Amino acid sequence: MTTALSAAPAPAPIPARRRLSLGTVTLWTILALLIIVPVLCFLLLATSPRLFQQGPESFTLKYIGQAFRGATGRGIVNSLWVSTLVSLLAVGLATTMAWLIHRTNVYGRRIWAVLMWLLLLIPTWMMTLGWGDLLQPYGAAAIWGINTKWIYGEFFGPLGIVIVLTTAALPFAYFVVSAGLQGLGSEFEDAARIHGANRWMTIRTVLPIIAPALLSAIAISFAETMSDFGVAFTLGYHSHFPLATYTLFSAISNFPANFSVAAVIAFVLIISTVPPILLQSRVMRRRSFAVLSGRTRVPRRREFRPGARILATGGVAFFFFVALGVPLLGSVAGSFVKNLGIYSTGAVKLTTTYYQQVFNPSIADKSLGAPLLLSNQMGLVVATVTGVLALTLARRLVANAGGWSQRVTDVFLLGSVAVPGVVLGVGYIFFYNLSFITNNVVNLYKTLPLLMLALVASSLPGQTRFMAGPVSQIQPSLSEAARVHGASRFRTWRTTNLPLVSRVLLWGWLLTFTKTIAELAIAQILYPPSQEPASVTIQAYLGNFELGTGTAMTVITLAEMLGVILVALGLYRILTPKGWRRIGWSGLQS
Amino acid sequence: MERVAVVTADLSHHAAGVSMSRLCKSFGEKVALADVTLAIEPGTFLVLLGPSGSGKTTLLRCLAGIERPTSGVIAIDGRDVVGPRAFVPPEKRHLAMVFQDYALWPHLTVRRNVAFPLTSSARTKGDRTARVDDLLERVGIGHLADRFPNQLSGGEQQRVALARALAADVGLILFDEPLSNLDADRREQLRIEIATLTRAAGATAVYITHDQSEAFALADRVGVLNHGRLVQIDTPEAIYRRPADAFVARFTGVAGEFPVALLHECGPDRYEVALPFAPDERIEAVAFERFQPGDAMSLFVRAAGVSLLCANDPKGVHGRILDVAFNGRGYDHVVSVGQGATLSKIFSPTRFERGRAVKVCFDASSSFVMDPTRGM
Repeated sequence: MTTALSAAPAPAPIPARRRLSLGTVTLWTILALLIIVPVLCFLLLATSPRLFQQGPESFTLKYIGQAFRGATGRGIVNSLWVSTLVSLLAVGLATTMAWLIHRTNVYGRRIWAVLMWLLLLIPTWMMTLGWGDLLQPYGAAAIWGINTKWIYGEFFGPLGIVIVLTTAALPFAYFVVSAGLQGLGSEFEDAARIHGANRWMTIRTVLPIIAPALLSAIAISFAETMSDFGVAFTLGYHSHFPLATYTLFSAISNFPANFSVAAVIAFVLIISTVPPILLQSRVMRRRSFAVLSGRTRVPRRREFRPGARILATGGVAFFFFVALGVPLLGSVAGSFVKNLGIYSTGAVKLTTTYYQQVFNPSIADKSLGAPLLLSNQMGLVVATVTGVLALTLARRLVANAGGWSQRVTDVFLLGSVAVPGVVLGVGYIFFYNLSFITNNVVNLYKTLPLLMLALVASSLPGQTRFMAGPVSQIQPSLSEAARVHGASRFRTWRTTNLPLVSRVLLWGWLLTFTKTIAELAIAQILYPPSQEPASVTIQAYLGNFELGTGTAMTVITLAEMLGVILVALGLYRILTPKGWRRIGWSGLQS
Repeated sequence: MERVAVVTADLSHHAAGVSMSRLCKSFGEKVALADVTLAIEPGTFLVLLGPSGSGKTTLLRCLAGIERPTSGVIAIDGRDVVGPRAFVPPEKRHLAMVFQDYALWPHLTVRRNVAFPLTSSARTKGDRTARVDDLLERVGIGHLADRFPNQLSGGEQQRVALARALAADVGLILFDEPLSNLDADRREQLRIEIATLTRAAGATAVYITHDQSEAFALADRVGVLNHGRLVQIDTPEAIYRRPADAFVARFTGVAGEFPVALLHECGPDRYEVALPFAPDERIEAVAFERFQPGDAMSLFVRAAGVSLLCANDPKGVHGRILDVAFNGRGYDHVVSVGQGATLSKIFSPTRFERGRAVKVCFDASSSFVMDPTRGM
């Protein structure tokens, strides 16, 4: 019989799980040493240089005044308006591209989606180099007899900077908008049309539903552009158009180094990116993509007529030609032009000399071999460590939704995404060189581990947010079902969670790996003497006006990165069970 | 076309008894479970019935080990799995569960989903394969063994979840509103399969739902939860005939509820009451506690205790048909009985057209006098 029992004495409470576990303490200690403390100490220098023996003042505002004058002031203003313009252009273009690729019947949708990933992986300094090689007089365009003198001057200025940064920010905006568009079922459009809305009214009605995605895309594009160092270091510098990340770098690399002015610029960079990201976060919280429920119907594609379909496909192809084709073509073609960029009267001659010089260098001890090997080794370590940490953080972020731990992690990640690599690099060079740290804690200054730590710190926030989406898509009941049916914690993770996040783990790993190999800001600031990463070596050639060799090295580095991606994707396909590969992930599928 | 489950053999083994003592669970300020005490005999099919937020899911999750209670004791098969000094993780409780959203692993085929609980068992691979094949046949999806979950319909997915729970061969199976995502036809079909297969397996079952008809159809015992408290636990018949309070009466289905004045006691547990919309009419109703004549109470009328008569019948209260709906076996009517009072779901094998005057007759055993504020 089933009966209600009579009242028993009140039992003792069941001990709750410890709120502050060893894991939590360890994780936050790592994060504090990786990001929080170095950056905060560095920022304090803006007003209190005496705290770290960088000046006599305990509190001063004079460096703020200095930072807003002259080239540094122009750099800040330039960065702000360029980032605003770029984010709007990138989101406009990204929305159009996402709509064409996901919601219409344009040809080659899978190819375009893959190319968008490629665009994401290529660093801005490589793009700049490609454009420069192509457009400069006696450059790659001369192979085809094209005169580029009229555009070269224009490109080396705000126009070129905006073009390169827009193409670089576009993939970030594209993936965010795509996620919003893909889940936006056709029932919203159908409901508007059925109730009498014309096409324009339908767009006006449906567009606000993906407003969080658009806002999010603007925020991420703005933050990425503000924090970009590749264009500032190359195109910005050469065209005398200062951008804040470069003036920050200059402030500490010039003699005497002015850490306080650098700290003010860092502060401006961070606070200018925090508001849009916070705003986006607030909007996302109130109007989440949860409108996109399991009941949402699969979106219907707009069926273009044959002529319009070819036209739309041509438009997409043209975009990729400009964004990806031009810089790649410029780099590859430029690497074969004899005397690239040097005045000559005769016809352009092609040569393979630069490729021979890559491993038999013209500058003593500056072969690409050892730096590229070092970059790959760092990429391997950094991508793996970042992957583990990012997955741990993403799981915490999702598991503790609504709790204080989730809020703290969320704020930390939002804030950290806004910390540019150059700020982190300068923060590290300052913090880990403090005599207190080197004498009493650890002496990592000018060592490879410090460089790798900074690279991990730089990749971690973005990686975590990248993984949080797919991790949050895993229904808690899948793990609960495994536990209830007898699986231990580890078996539950291995058999039911890992397969579901394997693809995002792989792409996250590849993203960090390639970004590490091509990373410039942190590498330039923190590389240890005689242990140059590939990007620094290449910049040494370019800075020495040996464009041909520098370009050939860039092409080889890029080819090597793509090779690793292809091998990794191939291995994933061969080694993983079929079920693992069936798991869709909107960010990766066209 | 989905195949129907075939129960061909007894899978019986020992069923687990369950007891809970003063179980409490709070989420911050919100109390989800308040002092729940119950015991479930081995082999019983217990259905926990309650509205959203009543705590039934929390109770089930505490039993499964997915949620950690704030205080109280839970014992399964005589072993404390929750207590001041014990918290046994879900994988060590030897139970199985069918989830509301099925919780099928999307990267595993149907066969591997069902085989999951057997992986760590001592069975040989051949035994495991045979058992999975047998179970898939039992639930009628043997032909879908190599498909992935997203290639199945909702009903088929739920059958996989059921087969997985049965595969575990445990003494206790939990069901978390397993039919709530299915359409009416499949609900009925799967409800029968759950009832037959679970009983054939010989396991104790704890099943939660907010659907009273589902609860009554499945249960040996029904427990009604409200605001985290176990209000009543009994057989379906007893719950229906002797609801513990106004909440239980309402939640298990009433045709109408009217304020009435008690005239006098007219027998054991019986009172004569005056209806507000027909002051000249007196009807008898059951009361489960003692009241004083003149007390303002409410009359709760079960649909099964109301019959429709022709308007010229000498018995009954005057009414008018507001709506009529064909339900396959006859007609459900909505009847106005005056002063805004209506009775719904009044069955009659013959159709009474809308607007027609009728007489309504109340059966005393299905009419309860209760304090309407109790169980609010």
